[in-house]
Amino acid sequence: MRTASGKRTKAENIYLPVSGRIEEIRKKTEDVSLFRVSTASPLRYTPGQFFMVSVWGAGEVPISTASLCEDDLFVEFCVRKAGTVTGAIHSLQEGDRLWLRGPYGNGFAVGRRANGDVLLVAGGIGIAPLRPIIQMFAKDGSAGSVTLLYGSKGPQDVVFMDEVQVWRSGGIDVILTVDRANCDWRGSAGLVTDLWHRARVDFSRATAYICGPEIMIKSVMRDLSLFGMPDERIITTLEAHMKCGVGKCGHCYSGPKYICTDGPVFSYKEIKEYSLLG
Amino acid sequence: MNTIQTVCPYCGCGCGLYLHVEAGRIEGTSPSKLHPVNGGSLCVKGWNAHEFVSHPDRLKFPMIREDGRLRRASWDEALDLVARKLSGIKTSYGPDSIGILSSAKCTNEENYLMMKFTRAVLGTNNIDHCARLCHSSTVGGLAAAFGSGAMTNSINEIPEAKVLFVIGSNTTEQHPMIGKHMLEAVDRGAVLIVADPRRTQIAEFAHIHIRHKCGTDVALLMGIMNVIVNEGLVDVDFVRRRTENFDAFEEILRRFPPDVVEGITGVKAHDVRRVARIYSMEKRSMLFYAMGITQHITGIDNVRACADLVMLTGHIGLPMSGLNPLRGQNNVQGACDMGALPNVFTGYQPVSDSKTRTKFERAWRRKLPGGPGLTVMEMTDSAYEGRLKGMYIMGENPLLSDPDLSHVREAMKRLEFLVVQDIFPTETAEYADVVLPASSFAEKDGTFTNTERRVQLLRKAIPPVYESRPDWEILGDLMTRMGYRMNYRGAYEIMEEIALLTPSYGGIHHHRLQEGFGLQWPCPDGNHPGTPYLHRRKFARGLGTFIPIDFVPPDEPPDREFPLLLTTGRISFHYHTGTMCRRTMVLDREEPECYLEMNPLDADRLGLKHRSMVKVTSRRGSIKVRLYVTPRIPEGSVFIPFHFKEAAANILTNPAVDPNAKIPEYKVCAVRVEPLHAPREVEKPPVVDLEDLRIT
Amino acid sequence: MKSEWVLSKDHLSYWLRQLRNERELIGPLRDGGKDILFRTVDMLHEIVLECPSSLPSPKGFLFPQYEAMFSCRGLSLSDGSDGKREISDLRDRTRRVIFGVRSCDVSAVRLLDAFCLGKLRDPYYEERRRNTFLISLVCNNPDPTCFCLGLGTGPYLEEGFDIQMTDLGDRYFVQAGSPEAVRTVRAMNFFFRKPRKVDYEDQYEVFLSSKARFRKRINLEGPRQAILSGKVGDDFWQEVTDRCFECGGCSYSCPVCTCFTVTDRINPEGIERARLWDSCMFKGFTRMAGGVLPNEKRVQRTKRWYYHKLVHYPRTTGKFGCVGCGRCAVACPGKIDMARTATKIKGLALKEEVE
Repeated sequence: MRTASGKRTKAENIYLPVSGRIEEIRKKTEDVSLFRVSTASPLRYTPGQFFMVSVWGAGEVPISTASLCEDDLFVEFCVRKAGTVTGAIHSLQEGDRLWLRGPYGNGFAVGRRANGDVLLVAGGIGIAPLRPIIQMFAKDGSAGSVTLLYGSKGPQDVVFMDEVQVWRSGGIDVILTVDRANCDWRGSAGLVTDLWHRARVDFSRATAYICGPEIMIKSVMRDLSLFGMPDERIITTLEAHMKCGVGKCGHCYSGPKYICTDGPVFSYKEIKEYSLLG
Repeated sequence: MNTIQTVCPYCGCGCGLYLHVEAGRIEGTSPSKLHPVNGGSLCVKGWNAHEFVSHPDRLKFPMIREDGRLRRASWDEALDLVARKLSGIKTSYGPDSIGILSSAKCTNEENYLMMKFTRAVLGTNNIDHCARLCHSSTVGGLAAAFGSGAMTNSINEIPEAKVLFVIGSNTTEQHPMIGKHMLEAVDRGAVLIVADPRRTQIAEFAHIHIRHKCGTDVALLMGIMNVIVNEGLVDVDFVRRRTENFDAFEEILRRFPPDVVEGITGVKAHDVRRVARIYSMEKRSMLFYAMGITQHITGIDNVRACADLVMLTGHIGLPMSGLNPLRGQNNVQGACDMGALPNVFTGYQPVSDSKTRTKFERAWRRKLPGGPGLTVMEMTDSAYEGRLKGMYIMGENPLLSDPDLSHVREAMKRLEFLVVQDIFPTETAEYADVVLPASSFAEKDGTFTNTERRVQLLRKAIPPVYESRPDWEILGDLMTRMGYRMNYRGAYEIMEEIALLTPSYGGIHHHRLQEGFGLQWPCPDGNHPGTPYLHRRKFARGLGTFIPIDFVPPDEPPDREFPLLLTTGRISFHYHTGTMCRRTMVLDREEPECYLEMNPLDADRLGLKHRSMVKVTSRRGSIKVRLYVTPRIPEGSVFIPFHFKEAAANILTNPAVDPNAKIPEYKVCAVRVEPLHAPREVEKPPVVDLEDLRIT
Repeated sequence: MKSEWVLSKDHLSYWLRQLRNERELIGPLRDGGKDILFRTVDMLHEIVLECPSSLPSPKGFLFPQYEAMFSCRGLSLSDGSDGKREISDLRDRTRRVIFGVRSCDVSAVRLLDAFCLGKLRDPYYEERRRNTFLISLVCNNPDPTCFCLGLGTGPYLEEGFDIQMTDLGDRYFVQAGSPEAVRTVRAMNFFFRKPRKVDYEDQYEVFLSSKARFRKRINLEGPRQAILSGKVGDDFWQEVTDRCFECGGCSYSCPVCTCFTVTDRINPEGIERARLWDSCMFKGFTRMAGGVLPNEKRVQRTKRWYYHKLVHYPRTTGKFGCVGCGRCAVACPGKIDMARTATKIKGLALKEEVE
């Protein structure tokens, strides 16, 4: 910018959050709750995008949308109590204000009718960004089969356990697994990567959406690639420390990409090309 | 935007920095490019030194405890109460029932005033400060050997040195700017010898890294000197002309041949010989030490051994050649110089000396006590036993910094009256009857003396925040209320009084410090340019004295019940009890929690996992910390930084003290480490399949 | 657009005085210890015209180390649905003119412009930048650490400046590079005259001689190629990293680094959201929720810093993320800096070629 330009447009402030109201809080597990937030102006967001969510006095954190944007009226965030800000969010009650800015990021480019099969792989809280996709397929169906492989720490840690039946009746093959089972658990135990044989998916024609801890993402992507899934159809969303969400603060800079503005959704091809994961 | 030249408030390096002030608010910090200590660099703490100044946690107004709770009070009310209470205690129990802790974080002027307050107004010598806990052994040990306890050389001489012998100092982390000069010396071809049980960053650059057992420094140094004597490497001329008592010393030295030393320290006899030869053969040899030497029950002996070594080789009294204790706090040198110690006035003039006392009595117009007062640890004990009734603590946090915290806490509880004067609410303030808000380094004028004796001007960048007041103003006000009129117009007037009464500060006045980067004492008169290195031609006490010493093992060696040796220390992102740095965003984020360093072999043996939570127990208590497995620490030892109040390492440490210096043995105590959560039984995966749950 | 004038040295202070009527005048001044710092000019004669490079760079006037973003009153941590809320945007609107900026720092501001005023515009930077007017001097006094010459970011600029002045002995050759600069000069045209042939000749002469004063001649393209071709292994970066004290000085002193962190402070008078300088050289910089440290090893962070400036910057903007100001060489206590590292990489690449 040249200092010259005479016209002084009152630039809007990209860091200014808008106030939202917490309509509903649903406790999902010991440390994870689902917050439904409404705002005065309509919201438009796509699966895989995120908002910078803040509590004044505690700070801001990026949280991906856990709901499908259908009627513009609300957005849901699935929040795990992990630090100062998420702790502060958890201390809020229904009716309290939560401050938002966004949505940011590219989001998943999910066609309502994907060609071929769809494989969703989630680990822990990583189910949250995939939930809108699941909801979409559960509602509208898909051309091929849709399989969800979802790993959690223990039976009590399965977020959205209450929705699994809904998803199943929507035609989604939900395979649950836990690291540490107990006697009440009727699903599998072990890592998601041990359960490939259970996924009824034509790997070479399928598209995969993955979200979870970095170590899981890495091994899942590597496996799927070996099974012949094209790298550009292995899609994941990356987590990173972020302070701004708009490509300025530098925290999420990885390789030549900003996870906040160039991502957070990347294909395995991009991840390899830009070495985004170490 | 204005820039204010001032001095870093963290460590003893005394780096020059500028505070950037925009509209009454400090917006940033930048290093001074031409400063002889930091030359354009700063450590991470320095770069963020401005941030805590405006932190919302700052103490905002005086507070008085009423019905067990602190409530807001006016300055008049609070100071009147302090004056009344202290006077009351003084009349009912005698002046020696009051103890004063001065502060190495406060300016020289404030320490001087505190000392004056203690001696002239209260009439006791019960004044001490945290130097007791870091370098009291230096002050004592070097005063006996040379007559003055301070770094003999200047920091900017380091790059020119040929041999650097660093013992018990994690220099790059604790004195980063001295570490910077050391690296430069190494780049220019100097030989670096590091003696430290831990593999610190500076040790990575060492040509010889000696990993002796914690607490065996005397044996190591005696072994080195034994070799020097036996191989004829002694500077005979120097020993003959400038020292005394060599024969008695040589006698005891015979007990430490390198192979015996190998048995005690675990250092190969060959390495002892190598170090002896390298160190003694080069004239431009600088010896550095820090808390690894001083914080032992043999602290004074360790220091004496270092002093003996430099005298034996004649490596003192020249540029790039000397003995350099690296002081911890930004103004710990100054606080000692100002006589915030139980046995000396300013400039180490003994209180027991009647001539000195008369001088001060005439200047202050009060009768002064002649017997030495209580040290930090003795004050705690005395309070615990109920003999000490009142304490006034300025800018110190004994409830995190002293050893055996449970004991200290009980002592504080038993006090009749406790005043805490600080910039942030501290652990100690929780027990205070009156809390007084002081101004931070950016809000007042004064001087700091760094580890190389450089007296530098601290300048006021912004007005005191909220209702806080500079410590010297508070003290002056209090003294007036106690019937001793004080009316200094500014810190510079206090400095004039210091110069008048202190030979080594005789020529140090604020106006001389305005330009440039300060003056190094001794600076006896107004035209003296300062002294870059000490003991030229003659020791301060005349002849240097060899002091015979013997090896004494640590007070609490590991045993069957507590099999690991715990050593404590600092890390580069934090500083002491964390009052300032833990309120700095970047610093606290870097190291938000306490950890324990353990050798992989020990961790394997105990079945402990990296990053798991463990419980560390000593005879005095236990804390929970995260385990950090690293080969930096030798087998059999563990390390914990002591900054964290959530897991205060000093709950564990041993309060055993050096009999002379009264410095506690922070560096060695015996502990046991256990997993915090019993390892869970590995649960078998269920055989049941979820085939029945599946809808396909 | 290029507009050129000549200003007699005798008129400089008059002109600056005029400029100061409308704006806060910032210039290089000597502080107590003879250090050069940019700050508000009180006495015009105190401006140091021929000075070594300042530390820090004038970056802080556009992107301060601590910058309050919002203040929020009437809100508590756990905020009920009612209650008065007042969020004010604390954008700094001070109009400033910074005199005596070096060409390298002007080039750095150009890089900041490209970064901060791209698709998503940083409002704080934008406001400050809009209100800040830079007067740069053709550098005739490079430090031993300076190496802008090899990067085309100094000692003089062909374009991209607001006003560039060349010292011709008794007068300045003044070039205005932006419409506002032209307006500023024209508004006070009684100080200026049109250049003659001799002025152009003298200016050319100064350009040549200023180039000749550089001790360091470093080209970053060679190191970039070496990195791209995979010749620079991790052991090289490890060796560089061993000297790192983790002070963050390289990023704090760099005129191009803009990483920041955000903090909320609950002051008695309200909550303040502020941003402060941060550095990718810290391990906590990338700490994720739950405490995972993706860049725990120091070597990963050193590599990140250099890759960003040497590889990723050229890929996205076509320019290096370094302007050769040499400040990292001054600030780093471990003597790790762009010039030294680039030289080492070049040596490494040469050695490989020979082998």
